[in-house]
Amino acid sequence: MGAGPWLRFVLMLAIVAITLVPIGVVLFLAFTPSAASASSGGFTMENFSSVFATSDVLLWLQNSLLVTLGTVFVSVAVAAPAGYVLSRGRSRAVSGYSLMLFVFQSLPVITSVIPLFILFAKIGLVDSLLGLTIVYVASSMAVATWMMAAYMDSIPISLEEAAWIDGASMFRGFVQIVLRNSLPGVLSTAIFTFLVAWNDYLVAIVFLRSAVAFTLPVGIQSFFQQNTTDWGSVMAIAVVMLIPPVAVFVLLNKYFSVGGIGGSLAGQ
Amino acid sequence: MFLLIAPSVALLLLIHGFPLLDAFRQSLHDGTLINTGSFVGIQNYTDNLTSEVFWKAASFTLVFTVVGVFGSWAVGLGLALLLRTRIPARGVFKVLLLLPWVVPIVVSSTAINWLVATSSSPIPQLFETLGLGQPLFLADPFWARILVCVFKVWISFPFMMMMSSAALASVDNSVYEAARVDGATGWQQLRWVTLPIVARSTYISWILMTIFCVNDFPTIFLLTGGGPIDATNSLVVLAYRLVFQNQQVGEGVSVAFIMTSVLVVISTLLYRQIRKAAH
Repeated sequence: MGAGPWLRFVLMLAIVAITLVPIGVVLFLAFTPSAASASSGGFTMENFSSVFATSDVLLWLQNSLLVTLGTVFVSVAVAAPAGYVLSRGRSRAVSGYSLMLFVFQSLPVITSVIPLFILFAKIGLVDSLLGLTIVYVASSMAVATWMMAAYMDSIPISLEEAAWIDGASMFRGFVQIVLRNSLPGVLSTAIFTFLVAWNDYLVAIVFLRSAVAFTLPVGIQSFFQQNTTDWGSVMAIAVVMLIPPVAVFVLLNKYFSVGGIGGSLAGQ
Repeated sequence: MFLLIAPSVALLLLIHGFPLLDAFRQSLHDGTLINTGSFVGIQNYTDNLTSEVFWKAASFTLVFTVVGVFGSWAVGLGLALLLRTRIPARGVFKVLLLLPWVVPIVVSSTAINWLVATSSSPIPQLFETLGLGQPLFLADPFWARILVCVFKVWISFPFMMMMSSAALASVDNSVYEAARVDGATGWQQLRWVTLPIVARSTYISWILMTIFCVNDFPTIFLLTGGGPIDATNSLVVLAYRLVFQNQQVGEGVSVAFIMTSVLVVISTLLYRQIRKAAH
């Protein structure tokens, strides 16, 4: 290799270092003893032990995981068949559906959140993880469907046609031919919906009112007090929040592709 | 075929369609979260459209969106181009650069908050050392706006980088050789070869990012809460504050609804444009 690649390597190293400062800050503060504690300087786990001992962080973690996994499963189950229709369908109804997805995606979540809050309050879905899951599934629906459609576009239709000639129904063609070959598309959609549900803040602060139902983004807020924020504890929870999405992304990122959504949005 | 999209359509109508109608009804009343209140006609709309706070929020939403879309696009495209070249450990860099988009905003905004909160925080100290004064990022309207916009670019550039990388992957390298033979400089190649080839995908990524920016809530709310003195108040943050902090549901929902109607019109037009450009 000449000097060029290594020069770019150094440049890239500098860019990445600056970019990751906020994440570095979280890790640094989480493992640094707080000013009030007896031990000073150096590395410590005491922020974690004190947060786990004195707060409901484990409960919030469990709530976040339940809501997120629920969202992932339901989203894939709903978006996979819908994506198939978007990928294969050429009728006016399908175009109408596609336009509806785009328009709903472009609306501010806050518009639907307020009436839904009032509706959900009547049927007991406020302060409920189920209610939260339903909203997350709906708000990630458009992108999830485009992602599934984008992947299915790459599966030749001739495979299903062969199955139809053999007497398979449309539904069987979808499940046995297309869905079985769509694992990367399913994973991509799963990763995206995982991030939507795990990282959401707005829907959670509106719908979750009591501490037993808190997910992590709401729970962490209870550590912020005027002027006396306990940074060590806050950052310890931040690390707990950081690990699942980063782990999912680092392990599965080769399956993750947003590039295709442009194509399926444009109907190609 | 109908059965395959039925669950999706049902969910969309229940969670987006119905609330939309209900939101419209609420926007014509002066209710709270508990009471419907009485019918006030278009009072909430005229109140908003004649209020200074509303227009201030609208103009900041515009600034925030323009900076968010083009800032994250420029950074994302630049990095995508850089990552196309031969660099040791390129794969690792690629993953690390996506982290700002992956990390929850609640987490990253907490870190930013720690970095800038007081005049003795690290970033103001760094500014001091560089002889740039000691800006109070959360208390000074000018700096608060810059902070929020830079934070949005930081969160969003990975998405644009992924979109750009996907589009660039389809560019055949032989077109560059042809351009080089014709004596095109690096900048000319970018302007007259690369950008036209990825134009359609660029256009789509701008549209998606515009939607993400206009509708963004946590980026602003978690850093500044819309302050200081409403300097970083966007329309979504304004709607949230009216409803949940001031209990003025009708007024807040009508802000959201004004945005919604503008967005429906714009998104329908843009959608047609995308479809046209594609065929």
